Amino acid sequence: MPAQTQLDSQFAALADPTRRAIVERLIAAGELSVGDVAAPFSISAPAITRHLQVLERAGLIERRIEQQWRYIRVRADALAPVESWLSRQRRHWTAALDRLEALAAAQTPKRKKS
Amino acid sequence: MNESVVSRHQANETTLRIERLIAAEPDILFAFWTDPAQLVRWWGPQGYDTSVDRLEVKPGGQWRISLHQSGSRMAAISGVYRVVEPPRRLSFSWAWEDESGARGHETEVVVDFEPTPGGTRLTLLHHGFESKPARERHHSGWSATFDRLAEIAG
Repeated sequence: MPAQTQLDSQFAALADPTRRAIVERLIAAGELSVGDVAAPFSISAPAITRHLQVLERAGLIERRIEQQWRYIRVRADALAPVESWLSRQRRHWTAALDRLEALAAAQTPKRKKS
Repeated sequence: MNESVVSRHQANETTLRIERLIAAEPDILFAFWTDPAQLVRWWGPQGYDTSVDRLEVKPGGQWRISLHQSGSRMAAISGVYRVVEPPRRLSFSWAWEDESGARGHETEVVVDFEPTPGGTRLTLLHHGFESKPARERHHSGWSATFDRLAEIAG
Protein backbone atom coordinates (compact mmCIF):
# COMPACT_ATOMS: atom_id res chain seq x y z
CA MET A 1 0.00 0.00 0.00
CA PRO A 2 1.45 3.45 -0.85
CA ALA A 3 2.49 5.32 2.29
CA GLN A 4 0.05 8.14 1.59
CA THR A 5 -2.91 5.81 1.22
CA GLN A 6 -2.01 3.94 4.36
CA LEU A 7 -1.77 7.18 6.29
CA ASP A 8 -5.20 8.22 5.05
CA SER A 9 -6.71 4.89 6.02
CA GLN A 10 -5.08 4.92 9.46
CA PHE A 11 -6.39 8.36 10.29
CA ALA A 12 -9.82 7.41 8.96
CA ALA A 13 -9.87 4.07 10.80
CA LEU A 14 -9.13 5.66 14.17
CA ALA A 15 -11.56 8.53 13.72
CA ASP A 16 -14.39 6.12 14.59
CA PRO A 17 -15.02 5.80 18.35
CA THR A 18 -15.91 2.10 18.24
CA ARG A 19 -12.77 1.22 16.32
CA ARG A 20 -10.71 3.33 18.67
CA ALA A 21 -12.25 1.49 21.63
CA ILE A 22 -11.39 -1.84 19.98
CA VAL A 23 -7.78 -0.76 19.53
CA GLU A 24 -7.60 0.40 23.14
CA ARG A 25 -8.98 -2.92 24.36
CA LEU A 26 -6.40 -4.77 22.30
CA ILE A 27 -3.61 -2.61 23.64
CA ALA A 28 -4.71 -3.28 27.22
CA ALA A 29 -5.14 -7.03 26.69
CA GLY A 30 -2.26 -7.70 24.29
CA GLU A 31 -4.20 -10.22 22.25
CA LEU A 32 -7.88 -11.22 22.16
CA SER A 33 -10.06 -13.70 20.36
CA VAL A 34 -12.60 -12.20 17.98
CA GLY A 35 -15.37 -13.08 20.44
CA ASP A 36 -13.61 -11.35 23.32
CA VAL A 37 -13.06 -8.25 21.20
CA ALA A 38 -16.80 -8.06 20.53
CA ALA A 39 -17.96 -8.84 24.08
CA PRO A 40 -18.25 -5.31 25.57
CA PHE A 41 -19.88 -3.78 22.52
CA SER A 42 -23.63 -3.78 22.06
CA ILE A 43 -23.39 -4.07 18.32
CA SER A 44 -23.83 -7.05 16.01
CA ALA A 45 -21.08 -9.53 15.18
CA PRO A 46 -21.12 -8.51 11.50
CA ALA A 47 -20.61 -4.88 12.56
CA ILE A 48 -17.61 -5.89 14.69
CA THR A 49 -16.25 -7.86 11.77
CA ARG A 50 -16.50 -4.81 9.52
CA HIS A 51 -14.70 -2.67 12.07
CA LEU A 52 -11.93 -5.26 12.34
CA GLN A 53 -11.60 -5.33 8.55
CA VAL A 54 -11.15 -1.57 8.46
CA LEU A 55 -8.48 -1.72 11.17
CA GLU A 56 -6.71 -4.59 9.43
CA ARG A 57 -6.71 -2.86 6.03
CA ALA A 58 -5.24 0.21 7.70
CA GLY A 59 -2.40 -1.93 9.00
CA LEU A 60 -3.27 -1.28 12.65
CA ILE A 61 -4.11 -4.84 13.69
CA GLU A 62 -3.14 -8.33 12.62
CA ARG A 63 -4.72 -11.77 13.03
CA ARG A 64 -3.28 -15.01 14.23
CA ILE A 65 -5.05 -18.30 13.66
CA GLU A 66 -4.45 -21.11 16.13
CA GLN A 67 -6.42 -24.27 15.43
CA GLN A 68 -9.97 -23.05 15.01
CA TRP A 69 -9.48 -19.82 16.98
CA ARG A 70 -8.72 -16.44 15.53
CA TYR A 71 -6.79 -14.00 17.66
CA ILE A 72 -6.29 -10.31 17.06
CA ARG A 73 -3.59 -7.94 18.25
CA VAL A 74 -2.26 -4.48 17.47
CA ARG A 75 0.66 -4.52 15.05
CA ALA A 76 3.99 -3.52 16.55
CA ASP A 77 4.82 -1.10 13.72
CA ALA A 78 1.29 0.31 13.52
CA LEU A 79 2.45 3.84 14.23
CA ALA A 80 5.18 4.09 11.61
CA PRO A 81 3.26 5.99 8.89
CA VAL A 82 1.85 8.50 11.37
CA GLU A 83 5.27 9.04 12.93
CA SER A 84 6.86 9.52 9.55
CA TRP A 85 4.24 12.12 8.62
CA LEU A 86 4.76 13.97 11.90
CA SER A 87 8.51 13.90 11.51
CA ARG A 88 8.31 15.39 8.02
CA GLN A 89 6.03 18.19 9.21
CA ARG A 90 8.16 18.88 12.25
CA ARG A 91 11.28 19.29 10.12
CA HIS A 92 9.43 21.62 7.77
CA TRP A 93 8.03 23.87 10.47
CA THR A 94 11.08 23.95 12.72
CA ALA A 95 13.39 25.13 9.93
CA ALA A 96 10.84 27.58 8.52
CA LEU A 97 10.06 29.11 11.92
CA ASP A 98 13.79 29.54 12.60
CA ARG A 99 14.00 31.72 9.49
CA LEU A 100 10.75 33.55 10.24
CA GLU A 101 11.98 34.33 13.73
CA ALA A 102 15.27 35.74 12.49
CA LEU A 103 13.62 37.86 9.78
CA ALA A 104 10.84 39.21 11.98
CA ALA A 105 13.16 40.04 14.85
CA ALA A 106 15.53 41.84 12.46
CA GLN A 107 12.67 43.93 11.14
CA THR A 108 11.32 44.90 14.55
CA PRO A 109 13.70 47.70 15.66
CA LYS A 110 12.87 49.71 12.50
CA ARG A 111 9.16 49.36 13.03
CA LYS A 112 8.94 49.75 16.78
CA LYS A 113 7.17 52.90 17.92
CA SER A 114 8.76 53.26 21.35
CA MET B 1 17.93 40.85 22.48
CA ASN B 2 17.49 37.15 22.04
CA GLU B 3 14.06 36.13 23.27
CA SER B 4 13.57 32.80 24.90
CA VAL B 5 12.56 30.13 22.47
CA VAL B 6 10.18 27.40 23.43
CA SER B 7 9.71 24.57 21.03
CA ARG B 8 7.61 21.61 22.02
CA HIS B 9 6.90 18.59 19.91
CA GLN B 10 4.61 15.78 20.87
CA ALA B 11 6.06 13.18 18.60
CA ASN B 12 3.73 10.35 19.47
CA GLU B 13 0.50 12.19 18.93
CA THR B 14 -1.29 13.04 15.76
CA THR B 15 -1.03 16.73 16.54
CA LEU B 16 2.20 18.59 16.06
CA ARG B 17 2.45 21.60 18.38
CA ILE B 18 5.21 24.18 18.21
CA GLU B 19 5.28 27.24 20.43
CA ARG B 20 7.76 30.10 20.14
CA LEU B 21 8.32 33.50 21.68
CA ILE B 22 9.43 35.84 18.92
CA ALA B 23 10.73 39.40 19.37
CA ALA B 24 8.31 41.00 16.92
CA GLU B 25 4.78 42.30 17.23
CA PRO B 26 1.83 40.20 16.00
CA ASP B 27 1.04 42.43 13.00
CA ILE B 28 4.61 42.15 11.72
CA LEU B 29 4.54 38.37 12.09
CA PHE B 30 1.09 38.06 10.57
CA ALA B 31 2.32 39.86 7.45
CA PHE B 32 5.09 37.31 7.07
CA TRP B 33 2.38 34.67 6.68
CA THR B 34 0.01 36.59 4.43
CA ASP B 35 2.13 38.81 2.17
CA PRO B 36 3.61 36.71 -0.67
CA ALA B 37 6.76 38.83 -0.87
CA GLN B 38 7.41 38.23 2.85
CA LEU B 39 6.32 34.62 2.89
CA VAL B 40 8.77 33.38 0.26
CA ARG B 41 11.66 34.65 2.39
CA TRP B 42 11.19 32.00 5.09
CA TRP B 43 8.72 29.31 4.07
CA GLY B 44 10.59 26.79 1.95
CA PRO B 45 12.93 24.04 3.14
CA GLN B 46 16.67 24.77 3.09
CA GLY B 47 18.03 24.57 -0.44
CA TYR B 48 14.67 25.19 -2.10
CA ASP B 49 13.27 28.29 -3.73
CA THR B 50 9.70 29.10 -2.87
CA SER B 51 7.12 30.69 -5.13
CA VAL B 52 3.57 31.67 -4.30
CA ASP B 53 1.08 30.47 -6.91
CA ARG B 54 -1.96 31.63 -4.99
CA LEU B 55 -2.57 33.31 -1.64
CA GLU B 56 -6.21 34.34 -1.24
CA VAL B 57 -6.03 35.27 2.42
CA LYS B 58 -9.71 35.19 3.33
CA PRO B 59 -11.99 32.47 4.71
CA GLY B 60 -12.61 29.99 1.89
CA GLY B 61 -9.74 31.45 -0.15
CA GLN B 62 -7.24 29.09 -1.76
CA TRP B 63 -3.49 29.02 -1.34
CA ARG B 64 -0.75 27.16 -3.16
CA ILE B 65 3.00 27.38 -2.75
CA SER B 66 5.57 25.65 -4.99
CA LEU B 67 9.04 24.52 -4.05
CA HIS B 68 11.77 24.61 -6.68
CA GLN B 69 15.25 23.20 -6.83
CA SER B 70 17.74 24.10 -9.55
CA GLY B 71 14.98 25.79 -11.50
CA SER B 72 12.53 22.87 -11.61
CA ARG B 73 9.41 22.44 -9.55
CA MET B 74 9.85 19.66 -6.99
CA ALA B 75 6.66 19.80 -4.98
CA ALA B 76 3.83 22.04 -3.91
CA ILE B 77 1.69 22.54 -0.85
CA SER B 78 -1.86 23.79 -1.08
CA GLY B 79 -5.08 24.26 0.83
CA VAL B 80 -7.96 26.53 1.78
CA TYR B 81 -8.06 29.23 4.44
CA ARG B 82 -10.50 28.46 7.28
CA VAL B 83 -9.98 31.39 9.65
CA VAL B 84 -8.36 34.74 8.89
CA GLU B 85 -8.34 37.10 11.89
CA PRO B 86 -5.47 39.58 11.54
CA PRO B 87 -3.27 39.79 13.48
CA ARG B 88 -4.30 37.05 15.91
CA ARG B 89 -5.26 33.83 14.15
CA LEU B 90 -4.81 32.07 10.87
CA SER B 91 -5.96 28.58 10.00
CA PHE B 92 -5.92 26.64 6.78
CA SER B 93 -6.02 23.15 5.33
CA TRP B 94 -2.78 21.67 4.10
CA ALA B 95 -1.73 18.93 1.68
CA TRP B 96 1.50 18.10 -0.14
CA GLU B 97 1.16 17.64 -3.89
CA ASP B 98 3.37 15.24 -5.81
CA GLU B 99 4.97 15.87 -9.22
CA SER B 100 1.72 14.99 -10.99
CA GLY B 101 -0.26 17.48 -8.91
CA ALA B 102 -2.11 14.81 -6.90
CA ARG B 103 -2.86 16.03 -3.38
CA GLY B 104 -1.87 13.77 -0.51
CA HIS B 105 -3.34 13.39 2.95
CA GLU B 106 -5.17 16.58 3.93
CA THR B 107 -4.46 18.08 7.33
CA GLU B 108 -5.24 21.30 9.21
CA VAL B 109 -2.97 24.04 10.51
CA VAL B 110 -3.89 26.64 13.15
CA VAL B 111 -1.51 29.51 13.93
CA ASP B 112 -2.13 31.82 16.90
CA PHE B 113 -0.31 35.12 17.39
CA GLU B 114 -0.61 36.21 21.01
CA PRO B 115 0.92 39.54 22.07
CA THR B 116 3.38 39.28 24.96
CA PRO B 117 5.57 41.94 26.63
CA GLY B 118 8.58 40.77 24.57
CA GLY B 119 6.73 40.43 21.27
CA THR B 120 4.54 37.51 20.25
CA ARG B 121 3.86 34.01 21.39
CA LEU B 122 3.37 32.06 18.17
CA THR B 123 1.61 28.72 18.58
CA LEU B 124 1.36 26.39 15.63
CA LEU B 125 -0.86 23.32 15.68
CA HIS B 126 -0.74 20.89 12.80
CA HIS B 127 -3.42 18.21 13.02
CA GLY B 128 -3.33 14.96 11.12
CA PHE B 129 -7.06 14.44 10.98
CA GLU B 130 -8.72 13.53 7.74
CA SER B 131 -11.55 16.02 8.11
CA LYS B 132 -12.55 18.97 10.25
CA PRO B 133 -15.62 17.32 11.88
CA ALA B 134 -13.56 14.27 12.79
CA ARG B 135 -10.94 16.47 14.35
CA GLU B 136 -13.46 18.36 16.45
CA ARG B 137 -15.12 15.17 17.68
CA HIS B 138 -12.10 13.11 18.42
CA HIS B 139 -9.43 15.43 19.60
CA SER B 140 -9.06 14.03 23.11
CA GLY B 141 -9.49 10.40 22.17
CA TRP B 142 -6.77 10.48 19.57
CA SER B 143 -4.01 11.70 21.79
CA ALA B 144 -4.74 9.15 24.47
CA THR B 145 -4.99 6.32 21.99
CA PHE B 146 -1.71 7.15 20.36
CA ASP B 147 0.07 7.58 23.66
CA ARG B 148 -0.84 4.00 24.43
CA LEU B 149 -0.09 2.78 20.94
CA ALA B 150 3.31 4.40 21.18
CA GLU B 151 3.98 2.68 24.51
CA ILE B 152 3.39 -0.77 23.17
CA ALA B 153 4.78 -0.16 19.71
CA GLY B 154 7.87 1.69 20.86
